[in-house]
Amino acid sequence: MELYEYKASELSEMLGKGEISSKELTESVFDKIEKTEPSIGAYLTLNCESALAEAEKIDKRRASGEELSPLAGIPIGIKDNISTSGIRTTCASRMLENYTPVFDATVITKLKNAGAIITGKLNMDEFAMGSSTETSYFQPTKNPFDTSCVPGGSSGGSAAAVASMEAVMALGSDTGGSIRQPSSLCGVVGLKPTYGSVSRYGLVAFASSLDQIGSITRSVKDSAMLFDAICGHDQMDATSARREYSPISGTLDGDVCGLRIGIPKEYFGDGIKPEVKEAVMNSVKALESRGATVREISLPSTEYALSAYYIIACAEASSNLARFDGVKYGYRCENPENLMDMYERTRSEGFGREVKRRIILGTFVLSSGYYDAYYKKAKLLQKRIRSEFDSSFNDVDVIITPTSPFEAFKFGDKMDDPLAMYSADICTVTVNIAGLPAVSVPCGYSETGLPYGMQIIGRSFDERTILNTAYAHETDFGGFKAPVIANGEVEL
Amino acid sequence: MANNPNIDIKHVAKLARIKISDDELPRYSEEMNNIIKMVEAMPEIDDELLVDESNVMDLREDKLSDSKLSRDEILKNAPKVVAGCVVVPKTVE
Repeated sequence: MELYEYKASELSEMLGKGEISSKELTESVFDKIEKTEPSIGAYLTLNCESALAEAEKIDKRRASGEELSPLAGIPIGIKDNISTSGIRTTCASRMLENYTPVFDATVITKLKNAGAIITGKLNMDEFAMGSSTETSYFQPTKNPFDTSCVPGGSSGGSAAAVASMEAVMALGSDTGGSIRQPSSLCGVVGLKPTYGSVSRYGLVAFASSLDQIGSITRSVKDSAMLFDAICGHDQMDATSARREYSPISGTLDGDVCGLRIGIPKEYFGDGIKPEVKEAVMNSVKALESRGATVREISLPSTEYALSAYYIIACAEASSNLARFDGVKYGYRCENPENLMDMYERTRSEGFGREVKRRIILGTFVLSSGYYDAYYKKAKLLQKRIRSEFDSSFNDVDVIITPTSPFEAFKFGDKMDDPLAMYSADICTVTVNIAGLPAVSVPCGYSETGLPYGMQIIGRSFDERTILNTAYAHETDFGGFKAPVIANGEVEL
Repeated sequence: MANNPNIDIKHVAKLARIKISDDELPRYSEEMNNIIKMVEAMPEIDDELLVDESNVMDLREDKLSDSKLSRDEILKNAPKVVAGCVVVPKTVE
């Protein structure tokens, strides 16, 4: 077994016992990247030289007897909308093609302090707007389980890198499903933490009230490890929650005896592929036989969630992306005639179609005369969706749904129809609207071997319960299955 | 207003400082109107929007601190710089 194949929790132990060095491990991951990257295309920027230098430093510190964090020496990939000092951060947009941050996001500072090794920056939908990573300005990323299919999005590079073992783990961001949906499509574990539990400082903002940084890993234990390392209050993020977090890692025992599981009927409707429903319900049955109780619940406003989501997300995006004006950083058009011409051409040339469409939609719903009809209505729906979740959590401890209505789809399948693409997020957007934590875990495979995902939603700040439920499921289901030779062209 | 989903794309694009060419206009119009049709289905809710007391922002004190960043370092990302200043097209005639 090669070093890049191990999970972070295993590697952490091997490193701690001195059985392997971080340098060997990092070299192994970069060898894997060199071999696999031409068929997958997960990375936009590699950080090889400084990763190896950092790995050597960690090895020296360990050799000198220093007590190190569990993540010390573990190679981690970063989604390209998380600011990394000195490493290009593009948001997969022409607008930021040559932008190199002069500061680290808080999560990066935390990872560096923990001794984690940054392998590079991962591809995504432009400014995290999309569900297939096809809106990236630079390149497509392919699904390691079938390279003619998309990896999902927007954190498609992160999910594909973890699944193809081009990173031991990765950070992603999730505004409407952007961690969970690609994790589902790539057969890995994706955690979207509670809003406010992980600092957003340094995450390039898409929709600030919905955005959340989280983890993509090959096991539930690894997910807990990474969450423990990045959560916590941060004064640089005004929406960061001021509270104490006790480590989840090490507490997972898979005991779900007495756990009350809610199955919301609205998430098992006609739009969801029957095979996906079956895979999810089989996993729920397995949890039931471990002593959990299952009941049907109703979240009636779910059918309007996608509408509310797109209004709120686009409204916030139109405001957040106003900063890209060609003045202080980022792309600027050639030979502007005047200031207005510079703004308009910079933004028209620097942004892709999906980003422009969302900015225009957001500008429209906030414009005079339309605010009450769209934005206010969406915010009222948000309030109602939140209260439906709140009252459900009086009766159940976790809510289980499919993550994505379907498995990975072919390139180009949904690019010409925005509404078809948006429907990929139908099961995930409510969680962002309500600010709750949720984890996606693999729960089955299609006839052609494409993964299905199950979403476990919990109460605010109760990441432990959803991860423990996920851990019980993983124990029954068997955990990460590495992709086999896909399409005859990728040898993984 | 909600019954009239025909958006004046050019006007809205202008507000957003985005230029849409005449060629691109029909496709944008169709896509935007389809999205608006979807969101029009949202129900009327007789309720008020109040500030969520449990989710108030925790603003830090507005005080100066040393970023340890030099002017040159910050200006490295600017598209056009002369003598330590960002250059933009003339704004006042």
